[in-house]
Order: sequence, then structure tokens, then C-alpha cells
Amino acid sequence: MTVLSIRGLRKSFGATEVLRGIDLDVAQGEALCIIGPSGSGKSTLLRCTNLLVPPDAGDILLNGVRVNDPRIRPEWVRQQIGMVFQSFNLFAHLTAWRNVALGLVHVKKMKRPEAQARALVELQRVGLADKVDAYPAQLSGGQQQRVAIARALAMDPTVMLFDEPTSALDPEFIHEVLDVMARLAEDGMTMVVVTHEMGFAREVADEIAFMDRGLIVEQGAPAEILERPGHERTQAFVGKILR
Amino acid sequence: MASVGWARLIGYVAALLAASDLVVWLGVRGYYNIHYLASITPILLQAFVVTLELIAVVVSLGFLVGFTIGWSRTSRHPIVRGIGGLYVDFFRSMPPLVLIAFAFLISLTSFASFIRNPYAVQSIALWLGVVVLGLHSGAYQAEIVRAGILSVPAGQTEAADAIGLSKIRTMFLIVLPQAFRVALPPLGNEFSSVIKDTSLLNVIGWLELSGIGLFQVLPALRVSVFGPLMVWTEIGILYLIVTSVLNGTVRALENVFKVPGLEVASA
Repeated sequence: MTVLSIRGLRKSFGATEVLRGIDLDVAQGEALCIIGPSGSGKSTLLRCTNLLVPPDAGDILLNGVRVNDPRIRPEWVRQQIGMVFQSFNLFAHLTAWRNVALGLVHVKKMKRPEAQARALVELQRVGLADKVDAYPAQLSGGQQQRVAIARALAMDPTVMLFDEPTSALDPEFIHEVLDVMARLAEDGMTMVVVTHEMGFAREVADEIAFMDRGLIVEQGAPAEILERPGHERTQAFVGKILR
Repeated sequence: MASVGWARLIGYVAALLAASDLVVWLGVRGYYNIHYLASITPILLQAFVVTLELIAVVVSLGFLVGFTIGWSRTSRHPIVRGIGGLYVDFFRSMPPLVLIAFAFLISLTSFASFIRNPYAVQSIALWLGVVVLGLHSGAYQAEIVRAGILSVPAGQTEAADAIGLSKIRTMFLIVLPQAFRVALPPLGNEFSSVIKDTSLLNVIGWLELSGIGLFQVLPALRVSVFGPLMVWTEIGILYLIVTSVLNGTVRALENVFKVPGLEVASA
């Protein structure tokens, strides 16, 4: 069953067309990795998907509902789509559990004790049960990113978007974040991951899409894309990255 | 941190001791008598209460205006932003003394044409002088609030958007709590500055601390050449008390809301 379906998505910033007609389907429980050179529009694609950036044209269908419709509140859409940022973006003035509970209380209208309990469960899930009262500045990059994942998961999203979640991390912390994501994929979370971690893409992704210059050039099983890319631009990129 | 607090306290105590030493020394030399000092204290305390009232109005009005205008200056709508900009430009480009005189004289002349009771006209004009001082301080506070809001990284609002938080909740739950931590020290600065600016209100006839001080110059001179100095020392101490209480409050607030990673370099 297709959960997220994108059709003919276009977005320009001024004169530059960043997305030039993207078609993409993500099935229930699928982990899709998007790879591609910088500037190819990967981040913009994710940002358009949860309407952080309004698309110029095209359709975004979430469980069959066209969400980029003026009659639908973007806040509602973003509740259904979790997002994890490259730079974590934890609320700097709130402790870990309050970061997770904030959306539960103020978006999902959950009672405070209930929200706190749920926050603790989510933090436990990402292995941070002992850091619930820490402020973001007291956590390592890897820990911050895991809190950010817990914050997104707590909202019970239909799809999770990851925008280069390990690119801002010191090498020693990359694995703890990737492990959490791999477990999430195993548990059947539907996820779209923009990443440069080819090992992760190969092992965890069900599909890999290669993006270049605002278009999806090629899409397929990890082995296919990484070992026998059909398109010459994919070959060039993969060749450079894997070597 | 703690050591700086102690140093400050010791400084205050030393200043107070020096001031009272001066008074005692002058008293010993016979330049004034203690009865005179005691006799003016009730008047000064009365004026002190007036000063406190003025401070209450000016500081709270200034904060309210500063918050609103400062927020409007970060708006996406150019008209809202423009109005805020005009406000700040106008009130910052006039000396507070001129603004006070303007407000007083304009209201005195215009209200007199339709309000019969001259006392009513006068008291309206007097209070508008106070209001305009609050508006003036509001312009400065607006810039502080604006800088505070702009200091919050865009990633914070983006993350709030991403979990579906509404714009207004994002402002009050994410942006403002962080903005105020940044804005608190300069706000304290502006508060203590406007407290001292209330002394300008004596030009339109407010009998607050400084006004009484000016009134007392001649009577004090009749007592001793050092009479006026006595009076003004007492006045200075009273101002020192208010500003110290305020600065202490601001510093205490800073400590209460201190969060690792969001500290402003402490003064």
C-alpha cells in the first residue's frame, strides 16, 4: 500500500528551478534512501513533502489525501509527517523530555503526566533513558539527534523524513544514530532518508533513489543502484562515493 | 559568579559608608545640623513615593510598548514592520526632555479648549508627560526585544513547524522564552536608565525626588552652605536604592531562567 505519493512536484527559488517534476512513491513500511550530489534538490524535496517549503506545482498525497491543498492546514500535515534535521534543532531552552513532550501537550492536546510518560518511553526507545533531564547543550551530537528522533516519533507520524541526519555529527557518534534508524526501519516505520551514508543505504534501505539536478534519475533496489547503476550520472556519483 | 556578586556588594557598602562618612564629617565640622536633615527626610520620602509611582508607570508602559513594537518589527508583513520602524525612529531621535515638554505643552493647550476645569487639564498634561517618557523607553526596549527575537536560530522555528505547532504557540513556547534570556541584561540596562530619566519630569512640575531637591536648594542654603549637598546626597542614596533593587531583580531573573547553552556572558 502506498503511503506517500508525490506527483510532478516542482519548486523554484527565484530563477533557479530546484525541483523539476518529481514523482515518488513510498509504500507502507518502506525505507527509501535518497542519494545524490549536493544541490540536487534532496533537502528541498523533503521540505516540500511536509510543506515547510510550499511547492509551486504538483501533488503530495498522504494516504490518498492531497495535502498541499489550501483547504488543509499545514500544521495538520506536519503532525502526520515526522522530520529529523541535519542540525538536530532541539529546543535549546527545554530538557530532553520536555523537547519530546512539547508537541504532545500543545499539538496533540495530551494531558501533561500522560505526555511526560510517553516522552520517557520514546527516549528509552532511542537509548536515552538516563538523559531525560539533560538540556541539549549537555548532550553530544549523537544524543541530540536521538532526542530529535524521539521528538518526531512521539507524534506518531505516518512517515518519517530524515534530512542528512548524520552529516553534522562527529564520526564517533554516527553509528548510534544510524543504529536507531535501522531499528526503526526494522520495526516497520515508513521512512524517507536523505543520506550520504552508503553503508546504511545498502543495508537498511528497501529502495534507493538517485537525484540529480532536481529530478529522480534512477530508482531501485540498493544492490542495483549501488552496484549496477543504469544511468551514467548515477554511475559517476556512485563511483566517486564508493570507490 | 559568586565572587563578582560579593565584590559588587562590598562596593555598594563602601559607597554608602563613604557617603555617610562625608555627611558625618560635615556634621562634625558644623556645616549642617542633624535636625535639618531629619526635618527634610519626610518630604524627600514623599517625593520618593511619587518617583516610585512614575517608575511603575514608565517601566511597565515601556515594556508593554517595547514588547509589542519589537515583535511587530520581526513581522513578515512589510506594513506592520514599517509602522514599528517609524515608531522606533521617531522616539529614538528626540531627547526625552523635548518629548516631555512637547507632550505637556501640546496637551495643555489643546485640552484647555474643551475641558473647563484647569486642574483636570493640568493633571492630564502631567500624566501625558509620563506616558511619553514610557513611549520613549518603549522604543529602546523594542530594539532590544527585536534583537532578542532575531537571535533565536531559524532552526528552532523550523523544528516547531515540523511537529505541527501553530505560529502563535511557536512564538510563545519556543521563540520568546529564548529571546528573553538574551534580552534580559540589556532590558535591565534600559530599566535603570529610564528610572533615572523620571527625574526629567520635574521640568513640567512633577514634585518627584529631583524636583523636591531643586526646591530645597534655597531653604537648605539658609541652613548651611553644605545644606543642598546634604539634600542631594540623600536623594542620590534613594535613587541608588531603587536601581539596586531593580538590578538585583534582573540578575535574579537571569539566574532563575539560566539554561546550559543559553547563558549570556554574565556581567
